[in-house]
Amino acid sequence: MNHDEAARLLGPYQDGELDLTTCLKLEEHLAGCPSCQQKLAGEQDLVGFIQSETPRFAASPFLKTRIQAALREEKSASATIPWWKQFSSVWIYFGSVGTAALLVILAVGLFATQGIPVLDQEAVANHVRSLQVNHLMDVASTDQHTVKPWFAGKLDYSPQVVDLASSGYPLIGGRLDVLDHRNVAAIIYQRRKHYINLFIWPSETESLHGQLYNLNGYHALGWTKSGMNYLAVSELGEKELREFVQMIQDQTVDARPGE
Amino acid sequence: MFGVEQHRDADANQGQPDFEQVFLPHLDAAYNLARWLLRNDQDAEDAVQEAYMRAYKAFARFRGGDGKAWFMIILRNVCYTMIKKLRSHETPEPFDEEIHQTVGESEMQEAFRQKANAESLHISLEKLPDEFREIIVLHDLEGLAYKEIAAVVGIPIGTVMSRLARARGRLRAEIVASNAKESLS
Repeated sequence: MNHDEAARLLGPYQDGELDLTTCLKLEEHLAGCPSCQQKLAGEQDLVGFIQSETPRFAASPFLKTRIQAALREEKSASATIPWWKQFSSVWIYFGSVGTAALLVILAVGLFATQGIPVLDQEAVANHVRSLQVNHLMDVASTDQHTVKPWFAGKLDYSPQVVDLASSGYPLIGGRLDVLDHRNVAAIIYQRRKHYINLFIWPSETESLHGQLYNLNGYHALGWTKSGMNYLAVSELGEKELREFVQMIQDQTVDARPGE
Repeated sequence: MFGVEQHRDADANQGQPDFEQVFLPHLDAAYNLARWLLRNDQDAEDAVQEAYMRAYKAFARFRGGDGKAWFMIILRNVCYTMIKKLRSHETPEPFDEEIHQTVGESEMQEAFRQKANAESLHISLEKLPDEFREIIVLHDLEGLAYKEIAAVVGIPIGTVMSRLARARGRLRAEIVASNAKESLS
């Protein structure tokens, strides 16, 4: 790692935002660079000072009461307007001629994302972001015995990592990601020029039911097996993604690891 | 029907999770951000209340997930709309980053230690441009991770990183240049 790059990463390093590989490279540089050491010390001084001395304004109890009262009013107001009044105001607002056409357009627009669970939307967003920001992998390896141990100590569970290279879906690495408020393992596979993010996390409050969703050309397919949730996301076609999922399902061992 | 929707039904109250249970716990975080952005109590309270009303009306579109980020996005929009109205007549104070950067790192650190106290910090933070003040509040006070900030502010993670670095650098320069009393230590 060169000096400029190291200097630029001191902030994220201090904030604990670097992945392990970058972190180690930076520490290697830091050990031999007094200028970066000094800069880091200054940064730590500053951030420590900001965190300890900046007042955090707390909302007054009156504000909470005020908001609760306003919410109650809002609730009862929307509950007491008779349906025909709501209907007539909408009718007047839109006018009569365009209404039918407008409603059709609205309905089509709504149904485009309706019915897709937020989890799948979030997973698709994570997938897209992983391709955009040049942060597909934290650990790049085609060896499942390198990828799996990499997650140890970063997650409170151990994801099963299988390699499908012989079937045309080579494993290429792993990454930590966040889904539904928790850290999850993202295992990355490649198919020609396309990538598949396979998110794995323990199924605690919900299980996935093998439904395939299509969101703006990305496909997401989630299932639950042996207490773990799996969610595969890719720009691959539906047929190939299903094939991939079938192979993963066949190869994951049917027992909850660590229990 | 599937997945998350079923999960939602499980903790639902008449088909929906309870709005107040999901969002009122974020009141202090919301108020803190609004107060630092708008710089006075009254405006901050109005903004927070307005954000709760908007969130309530949009609640049907909330599909679970990170309630804090979802709410902070709404709050932030309300704040920036108010800022536009309130400060349309103000011109931001010019700031010459060049001058402050000609000083060497060790001199800068020394000067910072002399000037750093609660008063200079407060004044300097208020002087920062909104986008800088906001990112320091979200990260250093509210403890949001880069990824969460990216979602709330609507910028890529790389931009969060560089903006936070510039914000901190500029805050330090403001503290060093501030007229506040020098600390005794």
